[in-house]
Amino acid sequence: MNGAANVLAQGEAAFPPSVEDFYLPSIVPWGAENSYWFTKITAMVWLAVGILIIFFLASYRKPQLVPTKKQWLAESVYGFVRNNIAVDMIGHAGVRFAPYFTTLFCFIFLTNLFAIVPGLQISPNSHIAFPAFLAVISYVLFIYAGIKHHGAGKFIKNSLIPPAPWYILPLLIPIEFFSTFLVRPFSLAVRLFANMFAGHMLLLVFTLGGFAMINANALLAPVSLLSWVMTIALTFLEFLVIALQAYVFTVLTASYVQGALADEH
Amino acid sequence: MAGDQTPQPTGGPGDTPPNAGQGWTALTYLIAGMGVWGFIGWLVDQWLDTGGIATGIGVVLGMAGGIILVVRRLGTPT
Repeated sequence: MNGAANVLAQGEAAFPPSVEDFYLPSIVPWGAENSYWFTKITAMVWLAVGILIIFFLASYRKPQLVPTKKQWLAESVYGFVRNNIAVDMIGHAGVRFAPYFTTLFCFIFLTNLFAIVPGLQISPNSHIAFPAFLAVISYVLFIYAGIKHHGAGKFIKNSLIPPAPWYILPLLIPIEFFSTFLVRPFSLAVRLFANMFAGHMLLLVFTLGGFAMINANALLAPVSLLSWVMTIALTFLEFLVIALQAYVFTVLTASYVQGALADEH
Repeated sequence: MAGDQTPQPTGGPGDTPPNAGQGWTALTYLIAGMGVWGFIGWLVDQWLDTGGIATGIGVVLGMAGGIILVVRRLGTPT
């Protein structure tokens, strides 16, 4: 605690946490001011990719009829995404999207989970760039799937022209265009980003707030303690958000793919 | 709902109808309706200097449009 208080005294972690706290120093080259090619965030993304590849390769290298623990875990994750997301949302045609959904789900879950892993404690998804790129991939996927299934003209007609009398179509088509092609990638990205950003901010406020209070006045120590207890409670809440956001992102992607594949009615 | 005629998945009969995304879809339609037509109304406002009347009309029209879309896309077809 003393060490952390010293850090606070040196002004390295000023109390009201700001957006600056999300921009971590450069690792390679070490401590460089204007080169941010490799930071802790970058390292964590590669770590997540590495963990996922190694986990799935290792757990399925020698598949057994009676699964080992690792194989059981990998199979349950894949089975969950395939049955409860892909098939539930899209139907049997959804099975061919299941590998992508599983990858998406695992990657988002793991990178989100870094927000509460001791020592890492920040999620790459609290930078808008990562959710935005994931959203772009999903966006391209559902448009591509729709065009491949229906052909470009019919896909655009299906998604832009609702079943309605012609005289209200001018009112509806802009809304359809906006909600299908503009809002979707934006809301996917912002939902994930904002949740992870707010989660990290919340934990920062309660942790640093405890130090700020105890530094200001020793009599405030009980309140600081309460603040840290709250941090622990919020960490559990954060875990809920982490799992939920990974699920929501995948489910919404599946729902968009389903909408793109749906037949006219 | 059992009577829902959601866009059928491409799989065979017996597939579970995908309902989980519908809440989001409905919400998006309602908000997008207000947003899009409110924005168009606001542009008209800037152009004709009507002091907010066009924005109001746009938002109301957009709400109506959003509701029509929800009914048409997600409701039971006649």
